[in-house]
Amino acid sequence: MRAMIIDDSRAMRSILRRILAGLDFETLEAGNGREALDLFEAGQVPDLCLVDWNMPLMDGYTFITEVRANRDWRDVTLMMVTTESEQGQIVKALAAGAHEYVIKPFTPDAIVDKLELLGLVNREVLA
Amino acid sequence: MTISTSSFQLIAALVRRETAMVYDSGKEYLVEARLTPLATAAGCPDVDAYIARISTDLAERRKALDALTINETSWFRDQTPYQAFTETMLPRLIETRAATRRLRIWSAACSSGQEAYSIAMLLDQHLPPGWTADILATDVSTAMLERVRAGRYSQVEMNRGLPATTLVKYFTRAGTEWEVSPELRRMVRVQHLNLADAYAFTAIGTYDVVLLRNVLIYFDQATKYDILRRMRPHVAPDGYLLLGSSETTLDMPADVAGLWSREQLGRVQAHRPVAAVPVASPTPIGA
Amino acid sequence: MTAAPAITDVQAIVEQVWSSFLGEAEPLLPAPVAPGRAFPADDAWSAAVSISGGWDAAVTVELSTPLALSLTTTMLGLTADETAEGPLDADVADAVGELVNMIGGNIKSLMPGPSVLSLPAVAAGRAAHPSGAAEVARFDGVRAGQPVRVAVHVIPQP
Repeated sequence: MRAMIIDDSRAMRSILRRILAGLDFETLEAGNGREALDLFEAGQVPDLCLVDWNMPLMDGYTFITEVRANRDWRDVTLMMVTTESEQGQIVKALAAGAHEYVIKPFTPDAIVDKLELLGLVNREVLA
Repeated sequence: MTISTSSFQLIAALVRRETAMVYDSGKEYLVEARLTPLATAAGCPDVDAYIARISTDLAERRKALDALTINETSWFRDQTPYQAFTETMLPRLIETRAATRRLRIWSAACSSGQEAYSIAMLLDQHLPPGWTADILATDVSTAMLERVRAGRYSQVEMNRGLPATTLVKYFTRAGTEWEVSPELRRMVRVQHLNLADAYAFTAIGTYDVVLLRNVLIYFDQATKYDILRRMRPHVAPDGYLLLGSSETTLDMPADVAGLWSREQLGRVQAHRPVAAVPVASPTPIGA
Repeated sequence: MTAAPAITDVQAIVEQVWSSFLGEAEPLLPAPVAPGRAFPADDAWSAAVSISGGWDAAVTVELSTPLALSLTTTMLGLTADETAEGPLDADVADAVGELVNMIGGNIKSLMPGPSVLSLPAVAAGRAAHPSGAAEVARFDGVRAGQPVRVAVHVIPQP
């Protein structure tokens, strides 16, 4: 499994990278939506994206909309990981094509729970 | 701040006496993590001083016991039991309860209520129109019961295992927290109950599904078996008892094992009451 | 009357962010500082985000340099070797920026919206506030003896 972590904070990318590494994911990183799309267009299409909302150049919401507009990328699982925590924002992201939503702050278990819900991780196998 | 051996032994003995839960040595860090905030709030310089204080201060003792009996919990914890509930138990019960059109579920160590409300969400989605459900949530901690009644969860708790689509369907923001919908709250009733108390189940009634998950591990062997023995009459004859995933492999003594049969439902094992056996079975001749 | 988040809510948010990423071994404890008194550390880092739309405000975080360094080390998962000379300023700015982003985003969700959260601005030193900005909520705390302050300022509309 390959995951792309899209967040403008290196500290946050590092936290997510360490969690995913423990789940045997191979990880790629991008500092904003534009950078992530460039990677997609260069053929680096992951199985999963963890996407922050507020980022420079291209925000996560726009990124999700862009990915969903391309049929070649329809198998990519999209999970928002963001401090945007209004109910309306969650609804909006889901409507745009996000599969899951994690609100910052989160604990590592929250990421594992959600990936398990998405069928990308199986705790029983990990244990 | 480190807890002294004598303080740890004192608090472990108190917890064991009051709730039958076991804090073995090695769990000092857990006691510290849970009591430090209380010690600070009570103005004690450290956890040792706080533990000394609760030997006489009963209000603080209640708080300490509450803090030490918290279970870690999440929405739809372990997933597979909930899957078995929706795919197997519920369809069967809907068939056999067609006359009363009523289901009774008991979350027997409800902690902060995620298990009870997870079940409530599934019932809301899968129960046919005209059916009612009664979900009883019990716990030894009064603080936890208050939380279940309030139905409010922190952002961090909301992140644990709750699908985002379910979150937006059943919750609304309330300050920094999220509040479960009034419809779901109406389905859940709370009651204080200490599983280790020999008479606790007397007036509790009978349930179609009892969830007794991830709590037996906290009790010593004798209490564990006693709970399983006493639980039997409170599970409907065609009902289900669900234990935690690590608890289904418990080696039970013959008299307890004889009360329950195990049935594999998808990826989980349910315990089901064994029909009462004749008191004295005749010994076959020549045996 | 200016709309302001409840101080208890601000505190709850700060504690959640803190315990999620830094663990509960060293709790963050409230340590009120008398109004008008300066932030109790000379050597500090600060960061700010602004909220604009349904509610207009700025959220600032100030923390002593030792606390900022330990936050950075934990968030970036730096090893003892990597921290021998302390984290780089750019790393501290990144970690402190993410801290204010998380706190600011959650505070935004408490208030009337919709509003937009800005990207964080981070500085070595105390936080600067636009003249005329009124402080409407503040949390002062300490972790392992090191101070942190989260403040919410409302910018009066012309």
